[in-house]
Amino acid sequence: MKSHDLLPVHTGTVIEDDSLTLEQLCQACGAQADWVVSLVEESIIEPQGNEMHLWRFSGASLVRARSALRLQHDLGVNLAGIALALDLLEELENLRTQLKIRGH
Amino acid sequence: MQYKDYYKIMGLSRDASQDEIKRSYRKLARKYHPDVSKEQDAEAKFKELGEAYEVLKDPEKRAAYDRLGTNWKAGEDFRPPPNWDEGFEFKGGGDASAFSDFFEQLFGRAGFQPAGRGQHGFHAQGQDSHAKIHIALEDSFQGAMRNISLSTPEMDAQGYVQVKHRSLNIKIPKGIKAGQHIRLSGQGSPGSGGGKAGDLLLEIAFSNHPLYRASGTDIYLDLPVTPWEAALGAKIKVPTPEGSVDLKIPPNSRQGSKLRLKGRGLPAKTPGDFFVVLQIALPPANTEQAKAVYQTMQQELDFNPRLSMGVRQ
Repeated sequence: MKSHDLLPVHTGTVIEDDSLTLEQLCQACGAQADWVVSLVEESIIEPQGNEMHLWRFSGASLVRARSALRLQHDLGVNLAGIALALDLLEELENLRTQLKIRGH
Repeated sequence: MQYKDYYKIMGLSRDASQDEIKRSYRKLARKYHPDVSKEQDAEAKFKELGEAYEVLKDPEKRAAYDRLGTNWKAGEDFRPPPNWDEGFEFKGGGDASAFSDFFEQLFGRAGFQPAGRGQHGFHAQGQDSHAKIHIALEDSFQGAMRNISLSTPEMDAQGYVQVKHRSLNIKIPKGIKAGQHIRLSGQGSPGSGGGKAGDLLLEIAFSNHPLYRASGTDIYLDLPVTPWEAALGAKIKVPTPEGSVDLKIPPNSRQGSKLRLKGRGLPAKTPGDFFVVLQIALPPANTEQAKAVYQTMQQELDFNPRLSMGVRQ
């Protein structure tokens, strides 16, 4: 028996696609709501739902918002630059995955 | 404590102008930023760079650092000379948790804000914390219990950053995909002023598997087949994470052909598919018998794979 066998088992909840509210997203990345709204206005993250109180974000939006925060904080990139950088990084990631699938 | 050569880290000479320092920082920060860089030690390099810039961008800190002299070598055992900082006043700033003992010895920790990014303060609730965990593909097929270890930097009562290690047993739900998050309520940073603790958000990634690759809910497998199986068609056994299944290879299959086993990918409301990618393996011509078979093919088959290239033979 290993020591961690004695620890309780935590059962989390899966963040399903498009389930995070604006407030939850802010809390999850430690950012203010108006900053998240500016990400939506720049199309950096795209929620489901037309009106702000109906917005729902995906886990992928959370990853993008946190990257955006780091790029702004560490490199001083503005919102348009963040949008471009994240799109290019995502494309790069897709291409790398494709390469792996083709076995290179 | 080891001496750090901040100029060397930034690739600059000691007489670099403030503009050069800024330009060099921007360039290297882009190169080593953990979100952008694929270099292995990018995160460590980025932190080291941040520390060097924190000192060199500030004329006061830079002057004090310069006064240590030029005879130190990077990595050399270092003690600051007495009264080295006489006449300087440093203002805090930066991300204290990231900096080395060398930096702290020189410029202290006072004045630093607790580690963390963005603006905080209006929530009494603790912050959510984040971690990425790698799980085996099989864990998603069957669901699993996994033990994970996390290191979290935390501020103690004196304002020192301590790295705390903890171990958690978590349930991996069936059908989880790479890029999805599991939320563990109350396992994030503790709240302040009686507020409740934040959540721990775990981003899921799959470890490399010797056989399978996942893409969303679809799974890919490279399957070696013989030339006659591909040419004549065959019924063969294929390994899948849920045990082996029968697969019919149609006649005249080609190298790289993709065959789909519907619904045998990751479990979900609409389960993913399992794709078999045929890899034709040639038998070696290492016996007289094998050579004879290849020679027969050479004589009997009119086959030139380079025909479309406009060359003969």
